[in-house]
Amino acid sequence: MQLEQAVEYILKKTSQSGVDQADVVASEGKETSLEMFESRVKSLDISSSRGLGIRLFKQNRPGFAFTEDLSENSLNQMLKDALAHTEITDEVQLTLPANEPLPAIDLKQHNPELEQTGVDLLKKISLELETKAKAIDERVSNVPYLGAGFSSGRSILANTNGIFYSRNKSSIDAGLGVMAATRKNPQAQKLGYYVKSGRSHDIFDTSQMAQTAVERATELLSARPVESGKYPVVFSNRVAPMVFSLFSSVFYADSVQKGMSRLKGRMGEQIGSEKVNLRCLPHRDDLPGSRLFDSEGVLTSDLDVIENGRLNHFLYNLEAAAKEKVSSTGHGSRGYSGKASTGFHNMVVDTGSLKLDELLKAYDRMLYIVKLEGASGCSAVSGEISIGAQGFLMESAEKVHAVDGITLSTNFFDLLPAIEAFSDEYSDSFSSVKVPDFLVPEIYVAG
Amino acid sequence: MNQTTLESVINHGLGLGARFVEIFEEKTRTAAVAMRDKKTETATAGTSYGIGLRMLFGDDVVYGYTGINEKEHLIDILNQLAASRSEAHSQPGRIVVMADKKNAGDRLFTFSSDPRDNGQQKKIEFLKRADRAAREISEKIAQVGVSVTDHISEIEIANSEGLWVYDFRPRIRFSVNATAEDGSERFTAHEAPGAGRGFEFIENLDIERYAVTASERALRMLTAEYIEGRKMPVIMGNGFGGVIFHEACGHPLETEAISRKASPFVGKLGEQIANPKVTAIDDGTIENSWGSIAVDDEGHPTQKTVLIENGVLKSYLSDRVGARKVQVPRTGSGRRESYKYAPVARMRNTYIDAGTDKVEEMLGSVEDGLYAVKMGGGSVNPATGEFNFAVEEGYRIKNGKIGAALRGATLIGKGHEIIKEISMVGDDLEITAGMCGASSGMVPVTVGQPTIKVDSILVGGR
Repeated sequence: MQLEQAVEYILKKTSQSGVDQADVVASEGKETSLEMFESRVKSLDISSSRGLGIRLFKQNRPGFAFTEDLSENSLNQMLKDALAHTEITDEVQLTLPANEPLPAIDLKQHNPELEQTGVDLLKKISLELETKAKAIDERVSNVPYLGAGFSSGRSILANTNGIFYSRNKSSIDAGLGVMAATRKNPQAQKLGYYVKSGRSHDIFDTSQMAQTAVERATELLSARPVESGKYPVVFSNRVAPMVFSLFSSVFYADSVQKGMSRLKGRMGEQIGSEKVNLRCLPHRDDLPGSRLFDSEGVLTSDLDVIENGRLNHFLYNLEAAAKEKVSSTGHGSRGYSGKASTGFHNMVVDTGSLKLDELLKAYDRMLYIVKLEGASGCSAVSGEISIGAQGFLMESAEKVHAVDGITLSTNFFDLLPAIEAFSDEYSDSFSSVKVPDFLVPEIYVAG
Repeated sequence: MNQTTLESVINHGLGLGARFVEIFEEKTRTAAVAMRDKKTETATAGTSYGIGLRMLFGDDVVYGYTGINEKEHLIDILNQLAASRSEAHSQPGRIVVMADKKNAGDRLFTFSSDPRDNGQQKKIEFLKRADRAAREISEKIAQVGVSVTDHISEIEIANSEGLWVYDFRPRIRFSVNATAEDGSERFTAHEAPGAGRGFEFIENLDIERYAVTASERALRMLTAEYIEGRKMPVIMGNGFGGVIFHEACGHPLETEAISRKASPFVGKLGEQIANPKVTAIDDGTIENSWGSIAVDDEGHPTQKTVLIENGVLKSYLSDRVGARKVQVPRTGSGRRESYKYAPVARMRNTYIDAGTDKVEEMLGSVEDGLYAVKMGGGSVNPATGEFNFAVEEGYRIKNGKIGAALRGATLIGKGHEIIKEISMVGDDLEITAGMCGASSGMVPVTVGQPTIKVDSILVGGR
């Protein structure tokens, strides 16, 4: 069956099966990605996939099931599985949303021209990146990661209350990872990445992309640790989004209700410095996480999560909202094979008024961090941050030397109120998390 | 798919100029029940089905996948894939006739209780037992999440060398997360044993022991002190401590990294790369182990591969393409998460082999250091060997004695440097289940080691 036909079929069968209510998430997509190494196409992947998942409620007990096979037999088996699951789950009191017209906002998530993207174009972009990267600097020893790709897809959210929403998405990307080393110390290699993605063929300035990747590899050559101690730290806008996204779940009502967030009981309190404004902005047409409706069919709208440091809102899906007898904020998140959870659509921290240069002048001696390594020492439950870092030791706003082999240790809930300033600039990445460079006056550093 | 369809599709690929054509057909049934807040919050099941098509032109890979198993559709995908190749043509290729289908996995995975026959209901009683055991430890255990997930995969691999193999892969895993709370402090600890077995694994599992272990660790760490960050000797506990070797040395030993010349171990075969006390193995043949495979995802028989013997680098981990590029034998390590990924060399059950040192001797040799009893997760940049790992449960060592519990410790360094720093290897080898993510997706693996002593490593703290 075609995707739409399968959704209609299963909703009809579900309605006939005596359930209270049900919703269906279905998606299909295709993707082409090409990887190159030493001017040859190392691999080419062309794929198409689809799947459908159902959530139904019988006497308020939910049952989930999914299938990637859209034959009648498999859809019937999926319904049977989901119904069987209602026998063992506990009651959840929630009402699926009714059909409402979607707002007339063009989120520009889909560019039909990308459907015509040929492998030749992906190859051409990749070759240019490799050639230019190798020509820029003699310290470039290898370009081990190089490639380009595009994807497009469609998803449908439908329920037994008459909702049948769909959306299309497409994107294209290209990037490279460059290794560099000095002649003096060829074993001490550094890797610099740059990836550009977006929704148009003309976003690729291969000279600038290659230059950036090479700079990111070479700037950290001859890096060494600094002495252990407390340092003022500027997190570059390259890594600042990672810091905030690691802790996104602390703002989910679901996490708060289950005791998995230290923000429990802190609504309305000052949790950050007055410089911190954190928002969910689902209708921005320049960001990839935008959407008019969430994965449960609730219409989305802007939400000020932190305003001038004050905690204003948590993010709710239907189940979390029902527990507190409030309305969903439209932050349900679900793929066809999983349970509904919670998620930001775009997480955006406001820019400040200072230039990066001004942040780097704030203290006589400070660290400017441009790379964070791994996140296993970070816990959204405890707020702990213990993470490897690379960057620069700065003195009087000048780079003294590149730094690696250090770790930063702090806690997210100590870091938020300590933020002194944000810069006026985001990184140029096409990301659903936007956080400018920010300055923290004191962080423990081990080196 | 039947033999006629397989042969038609493979022969079509050869006719397009490919030197090798492979079909990977997979059907995986996944069923999970999860409990949190003392409630059954999720019960879900589903079936993934798809076909991966791979052609090799020289050593270059073209790969496509689909959920539709009709011959014409598969041929259409091959045509699209070949269109990217200048050397592709459309002529009759050599004709391949498949050998009889072989069953690969029936001896590796003994399987007495099919989860599909037990139903999801049966998982509930085990989850309730685990939840109860975890909470009974203390009133400070504020949250417990438990789950049982089983996967039954049926795989067929056919290729232009006439191979046609069927593999049945049962896997089942129990997971418990316990969160301890005291005022605004919270700490979560986790245990997740798994096996290549049926439902009997859960029935025979000491489920309360794992639940209690997680809760007790969360409580101990709740009151732990921060560690001061600096270089120091570290004793790494057995079992999941092996994640460091997996990440910092295992990944850079995969031909995927070696062939890109993006590994510190390029060109080091036969060289002394570690302390002579270190022997490291990647073994796909351990019966019923979570990380075992009867054949790899290219249909090649798995094996026990000695990676490092007495500190000397003996082997890389290779798949079909990686082996050719690096000019090493295949080790049966071609793995992928599902039909959605082309296979590359990946680890299976990877461990540092048992030595002869005793934990007490190791502790006694440290004046001032860290005992990292349980590691958390970690990651590595295979190109540079730079790694970063969290310590989930750690203790200060002072004058050879275990002291206060420590929190917030992270270990960082370079894999190829740290294996030279391993000076003592214990006799208490243990392996534990995990999931490993890389370019061919998430695959089940085990990591392991006996307790080891690393003379000097940077410990991040405050």
